[in-house]
Formats: sequence, C-alpha cells, structure tokens
Amino acid sequence: MKGYKIIDADVHNEQEDAALLPYLKEPWRSRVAASGIGYAGSGYYSPIGVMKKDSIPPGGGRAGSNPDFMIKQLIDGYDLDYAILTGVVYNISTTHDPDYAAAICSAYNDFLIAEWFGKHKAFKGAMVVATQDPLLAAREIDRVGGHPDIVEVMISSAARAPLGQRYYHPIYEAAERNGLPIAVHPGAEGGGGSTAPTSAGYPSRYIEWHTCLSQMFMAHLVSLVCEGVFVKFPNLKFVMVEGGVAWLPGLMWRLDKNYKALRSTVPWLTKLPSQYIRDHCYLTTQPIEEPDNPQHLIDLFNMIDAENMLLYSSDYPHWDFDSPDHILRKLSPEARRKIFRDNALQLYKLT
Amino acid sequence: MAVHYVLKEEDIPEGGFSLVQVDGREIGIYHVNGEYHAIHNYCPHQGAPMCAGLVSGTTLPSEVYSYEYGKAGQIIRCPWHGWEFDLKTGKALFNEKIRVRKYTVEIEDGKIGILITKSITGSGAIRDSIL
Ligand code: FES
Repeated sequence: MKGYKIIDADVHNEQEDAALLPYLKEPWRSRVAASGIGYAGSGYYSPIGVMKKDSIPPGGGRAGSNPDFMIKQLIDGYDLDYAILTGVVYNISTTHDPDYAAAICSAYNDFLIAEWFGKHKAFKGAMVVATQDPLLAAREIDRVGGHPDIVEVMISSAARAPLGQRYYHPIYEAAERNGLPIAVHPGAEGGGGSTAPTSAGYPSRYIEWHTCLSQMFMAHLVSLVCEGVFVKFPNLKFVMVEGGVAWLPGLMWRLDKNYKALRSTVPWLTKLPSQYIRDHCYLTTQPIEEPDNPQHLIDLFNMIDAENMLLYSSDYPHWDFDSPDHILRKLSPEARRKIFRDNALQLYKLT
Repeated sequence: MAVHYVLKEEDIPEGGFSLVQVDGREIGIYHVNGEYHAIHNYCPHQGAPMCAGLVSGTTLPSEVYSYEYGKAGQIIRCPWHGWEFDLKTGKALFNEKIRVRKYTVEIEDGKIGILITKSITGSGAIRDSIL
C-alpha cells in the first residue's frame, strides 16, 4: 500500500453468548444464561468451517473475540486505518420471536460500544437491528445510532420478504434520520423463518448455497430500487456486504431494459434504475470473484464504473478472507485507492 | 545448492509435522506414511500460512453420489480458503498447475535435511496471486 492506509468494511468481531449477559434485561437474560442465544443458522455444512484457522487467539477463545489479537493480526498486520466491526448478530433475524431478537440486538450494540470501541481508534462499528419488527428496529437506531463510533446499521439478507418492501421502511427512515447507511449481510439464508436460500429452493450443499447468495442480493437490490426506497429516502445509502460483485453489470442492463418498457408500473422512478444503484449503493469486495484471467474482472468493473461503488472488505476472521495485498492488483492505482480507502472514508464520514 | 540439516528423524513422529526456518524461509516438514515432505509455509493463492492448515484425507474423484475417501494424512487444506494440496506432489487437487512449493528432503544418519537450490531472492517467483 503506497501512501495511504486501508479501510476494511467487513470485520467480524465475535463473542461467546455469555458475553452479552450483562447487557441483557430479564426475561432474556435468564433465557440466554440457560440456553445460549440460539441462532437459526442456514444448516449448511462446510468442511472448511467458518473461521480461518490461523485466527484463533493464542490464549484460546473464538476467532475474532479478542480485540488485542485482532489489532495485532489485522489492524497492525495489514496497516488498516479503520476496521468496520460487523459482528455476527444480524443472523438473529431468522429466529422467530421479534421481542427476543430485538433484545439480543440491543444487548450486542451496548456490548460493542462498551467493550470494543475504546480498544483501538481503528475500531468503528455497525450497530445491528433485527428485521422481525421494523418499528422496534427504528427505535433501536434512534437509541444508539448517534454514537460517534457507530457508522452504519446492519441487517440480515436472510429475510422473510424482499428488503425493498414497505414493511421495512421504518428501518430506513430511522437510518436516514440518523445519517447512517444500511448494510446488508448474508449468513443465515434458509434458516428459521427466512425464505429458501436460492430462488429455486433449498440446494443440497454449502457450495451451492454459498454460490447462490448472490441471488439473494440481486433480489433485494431490485426490490430496493423498484419499491422506491431511494426516492422515499433520498439521502439513504446501502452497503451490500459479501454478496459478490460480478453479477451487477448484467442486472443493471436487464433492469434498465425492463424499465424502458415497464416504467408505468414504477412511476416514482424518474431515472434509469441503474442510476439509483450507482447513486445509493456500495458493494463490498469480498469474496471477490476470481476469473482465470484477472483482466476480465477489471473489464467488468470498467463497464459500470465499479471503482466508485466498491468498498474493500476482508471478512476477517472468516474462511473466505481476502488479503488486501493479493486482490485487485491489476486495477489502476487511482481505482485501488478509491476502493481500499476513499469510498469508505466518504461513506462513513471518517477522517 | 545446499542441504540444510534442521531436525532429527525422531523429532517428527508419523502423522506429525514441524515448522522450521531455512535460509530465511519458513518450511513445514510433514511425516506421512513413512516419508517426509517439505513445503513452503505460503499458499500460492493469497499467501496464507499454509502450515496452519489441517492435514487429513479427502474424497477422491468418484461416480455421482458415491464417496471414496482416500489419501489419508496426505492432504493439507489451506487455513484460509480451504484449497487442498497433496503433500506428496505439492499439487492442488482442483488443478495440477497450481502448487505449493515443495523442497527435496534428504535423510542422512537420522537427520532431516532440506535441499535449497536457489537463494531466497529466487523465492519471490512463487508469490503469484490470482488477481
Ligand atoms: S490463501 Fe490459501 S486458499 Fe486462499
């Protein structure tokens, strides 16, 4: 990295369930103490596991659970200016009790503020809200969204319905009111109360599930544009985390083509749909697609000015971590700088 | 060209491995089915510390819906993105052209030696990356 420091838009801090106990009110506290949080995960098996094997802290504990080790391995190891802590608690949105899910999110947000932010100036974070009850989510955004180290609101891409629909709008209204982008992260697709993880239903294996996560993002993105979220909330930004990038040009072309014929069904859209995407959306890079010829990905970026829409992310400490030194090396230095720093600096209002 | 004697045979039991420094590079020596295999602690994909990966067997190419487990103790899986490499050949299981760098092991008088053919300046050549 020459002359600037990197911003990493997706870093997963983790904690034991019991770490949230001091931040939980009853009756939730007793429930978690007795039974753990009880996420409703996707259920798909990977022989690799979720964690990269060299990220277990030397003193033991979960990967990503020890701030000092994260500082050493990630912040200092890759010379990061900022790491956006995204946690894993967004996965709570596939469970069934809206009040419980909201309580877990509040506890995590207080935990994040109390136990991570002070540890290093590089730590900024996503507060999390559950999507089962958007009004509770909006209230939570108003409660903690003003904290100076909170830079976005994280929700799960595993959901009960496409994320553009009016049911979710209170979340977006609150995020806009607090000047925070919404970030969307996958993980529990197919679990609990969420929809099937692919458009075709439930595939048999993790390799299929993981590949098709991009479908989820395509569906949510089309919904967000067509439902007029960016018309209703003109200052709102969205960050599509870990959903892939290479599908975007084709989606923009198809959606724009359809708009020319079907505009009358979405009369609130006064620009081409792709323009709303460019103006309001960011995508994080990891897991970056890796064509045999690296130039092909760069060509694809150039088709949509991707350099203005991408945020570098590592996904530390998860198995599909992308090292900043090893991806996107064929990009121009200017494009690299935007993706590895400037876009995030601007979006998250960092200095 | 030099053989660096780094360990004694009894230092690595069958199924075990040891990480050593030789001529400025980190090399993992694995004891698999009576043989020693030495690999660079550097994954050709994105440079992960390969030797933090787990060693196991794996499923061999097979008919649809049948599973043939083999190469027990002979496959190392990169600790980051899980690419599998054969410790005997250094080759990735999905593509023989992708390899983790292997070093020749020489055993003499119960000592394990690593043959270094090029000085460290030559090792930059393996720092290929995908993008
Ligand atoms: S760094 Fe080894 S598989 Fe990616």
